[in-house]
Amino acid sequence: MNTIAAMPGRRPITAYSGSVGTATYQRLMILALIFVAAVLLIILRLTSFALFEEQKSFRSLSTTYVPERGDIVDRRGVPLARTIAAYAIWMKPDDIRGDRKQLAADLERIFPDEPAGVFYAKLTAGKPTYLRRRALPREVSEVHALGEIGIEFPREPERLYPEYDLAAHVIGFTDMGGTGRMGMERVLESRLTDPAKRAQPVALSIDSRVQGALRNELSKAMASTHAIGAAGVVLDANTGEIVALSSLPSFNPNKLDAEGVRNQANGVTQSVYELGSTFKPITVAAALDAGTVRDLSRRYDATAPLKIAGFRIHDDHPMGRWINVPEALVNSSNIVTARIADDLGQERMEKMLRTLRFDQRPEIEIAEKGLPIWPRDWGRLTTMTVGYGHGIAVTPLHLATAYAALVNGGIYRPSTLLKVQPDQAPAGRRVFSAATSARMRQLLRMIVLDGTGRNADAEGYRIGGKTGSAEKPSAGGYSKSSLVSTFAAAFPMDNPKYVVVVTLDEPQGTAATSFQRTAGWVAAPIVKRLVPRIGPMLGVLPDTRRDVDVSELMPLLWRSGGGH
Amino acid sequence: MRGAIMAEHGPKQLAGVIAARGRATMESRLGRADRSPIGVWFWELDRVLLGLIVALIAIGLLAVAAASPATAQRLSTSSQTLDPLYFFYRQLMWVAVSVPCMLLVSMLPKDEARRFAILAFGLFLALLILVPVFGSEVNGARRWIGPGFANVQPSEFLKPFFAVTMAWILSWKSREHSIPVIPLTLGITGFIALLLMNQPDLGQTIIFCGIWFTLMLVGGMSVRLLAALVIGGIVLLVAAYAFYPVATQRIDTWLFGGETNDQIMLAYRTITSGGLVGVGPGLGTEKFHLPEAHTDYIFSVIGEEFGILPCIVIALTFLAVIIRVLVRLLDEEDRFVILAATGLVAQFGGQALVNMAVNLQLFPSKGMTLPFISYGGSSLIAIGVGMGLLLAFTKRNPYLDRSRYMMKGASG
Repeated sequence: MNTIAAMPGRRPITAYSGSVGTATYQRLMILALIFVAAVLLIILRLTSFALFEEQKSFRSLSTTYVPERGDIVDRRGVPLARTIAAYAIWMKPDDIRGDRKQLAADLERIFPDEPAGVFYAKLTAGKPTYLRRRALPREVSEVHALGEIGIEFPREPERLYPEYDLAAHVIGFTDMGGTGRMGMERVLESRLTDPAKRAQPVALSIDSRVQGALRNELSKAMASTHAIGAAGVVLDANTGEIVALSSLPSFNPNKLDAEGVRNQANGVTQSVYELGSTFKPITVAAALDAGTVRDLSRRYDATAPLKIAGFRIHDDHPMGRWINVPEALVNSSNIVTARIADDLGQERMEKMLRTLRFDQRPEIEIAEKGLPIWPRDWGRLTTMTVGYGHGIAVTPLHLATAYAALVNGGIYRPSTLLKVQPDQAPAGRRVFSAATSARMRQLLRMIVLDGTGRNADAEGYRIGGKTGSAEKPSAGGYSKSSLVSTFAAAFPMDNPKYVVVVTLDEPQGTAATSFQRTAGWVAAPIVKRLVPRIGPMLGVLPDTRRDVDVSELMPLLWRSGGGH
Repeated sequence: MRGAIMAEHGPKQLAGVIAARGRATMESRLGRADRSPIGVWFWELDRVLLGLIVALIAIGLLAVAAASPATAQRLSTSSQTLDPLYFFYRQLMWVAVSVPCMLLVSMLPKDEARRFAILAFGLFLALLILVPVFGSEVNGARRWIGPGFANVQPSEFLKPFFAVTMAWILSWKSREHSIPVIPLTLGITGFIALLLMNQPDLGQTIIFCGIWFTLMLVGGMSVRLLAALVIGGIVLLVAAYAFYPVATQRIDTWLFGGETNDQIMLAYRTITSGGLVGVGPGLGTEKFHLPEAHTDYIFSVIGEEFGILPCIVIALTFLAVIIRVLVRLLDEEDRFVILAATGLVAQFGGQALVNMAVNLQLFPSKGMTLPFISYGGSSLIAIGVGMGLLLAFTKRNPYLDRSRYMMKGASG
């Protein structure tokens, strides 16, 4: 029929027919051309859509997607927890048309980690079930290509932690039902699921860069000292924001296994330790504030262990002479600190520690908070041992908030994991006088310049801090072999901005630490390596021409060969 | 056997049977033995056109299956959940009604088909006039009439009958020059346009005017008058923009954004999210944001799931239908057949172009279905009847034509 219609010699027909002439022939051609032009326009438009499709579809994703659960980001907007629509693979046995045995084999080919037998059992069990709880888009399209109508691919919200275990203890995790079960996920549950607010991510105080550096330094130290655990916190001394908080060993919140569950204990906020000598600056500050120490050059007897109530307080490095207050801190003398605490008295000692909230769980949003071990029967001996950090156990976070108050001019602020907008910092409350705080800045800097904290002195960063090595209490007394080595520091000491507390749990002496396992050898170097890494990120630049002025106190330190 | 067929098709087919018998010698010479009415019908039919239509219907079923879950999810309530393929099954049912309608109409001899179309034009024009009185309101427009199952959109059905009737009126001219046929058709078109703008239904108004303009073009109106019509059309559009609130709103949202523009944006996201070859059947995600995924915006859903290339193929298929009909009209002599077929194909092609253009943000209107592809019983049956008429008018006996050409060629 077509060939006939297209035969040559038909053109004259227009002349032949009376009513339909050349004009109609032309008009029909014009009409056809109009339609061709219109369809060409449509095709051109389609082609341009195909060419510029990619960037546009990307944009559409960001403008329309509201997650089922809000994102959690760090203080700079780096995502720490997000919700994506993941694929699941769901099977309805009544609708399965193909050969189940073959189907199971095909599924095994796509998911090599699961044997065909498992799939076959599910396919023949007779009730709808998940074949896979989670599948990648590539796997989904492969299963889809099997063409089995009894298999469906529901989209389910999936909580994703792109930084893995980086800040696992801070962020926490959600259970299979999508409910926050730990950390900020649990704290922010209602905020993250509020339909009105969940489009807007929640910003934490954490800086993931600082967090990464802290975690890295802690894990290096943990490996080199064969410690069983490590914990560290970087705290903004003036706002209470926790910029980094790491507890090792950590866990991967994306995939919790039995080991991960064991590692959920938060070493910064949950574990309580006798933090030892790091308490000494607090005792001295309390004594300065109370006026029981007025003259830093006053000397105390450190010639022999202090015997009291059948208990002997002795120094790790006996001085064998009378020493003044700066010397007691720089050399970490238990005997002299005990005497200063004794002069201060039980009432004022207790009051200061309660003011610093050492008798309560730390002030922070997350629920994983440890209750300090507060001395049961507080006597004269307790006052003296607490003075150098024994007989009381608190969390490293307690110590960090206390050190913040110690160096920032004397203001205590609760710590927070939520980003604090500039000029929105809480007013806090005064716990030390400004003069005491200024004095403590000098003393802490001296410990690093010329004392047990020497190994923490990173050039130009004006670090100040105090070591603390405490024996872990075990059955039948203190264990000589297991230490908790802590270094509590702040920088830069001429205008303290950040407090850093690092703790190693049961470090062993190794060649790298000259076979020493005390804080001065294992914990202080962490701070020395960490601060130059995080300082520039936090806006603290090294400057060797600036420092806190310690010239009036340095002569008080006795030097062998010196005239003092 | 033959008696049974005659009983089935009535006396009208008898003529065809007799004609077939009359050609018996020629057919046997060409090896064609089937002389039953259906055989004759099939032999005379434009089978390429029918093939293209069947291809469009098949594409339409696939597309509705792709779009159905989106609309089913949108229309599901807490108490009633629609099957994801609800609209696919319904479309299947409508195809089962529409295709026989089309084939039955295509079996009518040309005169019968014309008579049927003119009578139906009168009936649906009456219904259209009654819409403002008895019609039901959907989405702020009063376009539907009739109780429950028989609820129809008269303007959908009126379009093909309008094209045929106008062609009939215009074809009087060749016999009787005294009747002012052009003013008469202009008056009818204007009257229908007023009724439609009152509903309001801007898209259908444009289609009706487009059909009439095409008839004028092919009917041989002078170029000067056609140019005047184009200018007049532009002036009318500007006037509509200035004085007709529906047009103002449609064009405003097209140009400056707004609620309808959001729909256009959603359609844009859908059509572009599949790339050249699509994300795969059933795997589209953007379609779920799209209102009217199964009707007005089905072209976008095809773009997402099957890709831009199939969209181009669909556009070319519509063009193929148009070109096929127009090319076969080039050696047609009957003025009425030329005008009627042109009008019908203009309606079909115009509707397809407007729908695709709306999906591609090239046109400000909406409420136009993609022929044979969009979901919808009313529109599917109307288009089926329209295409049935087109098939009926383009039927021809190839041997009669051929012999005449050969004769002509021999004499010339």
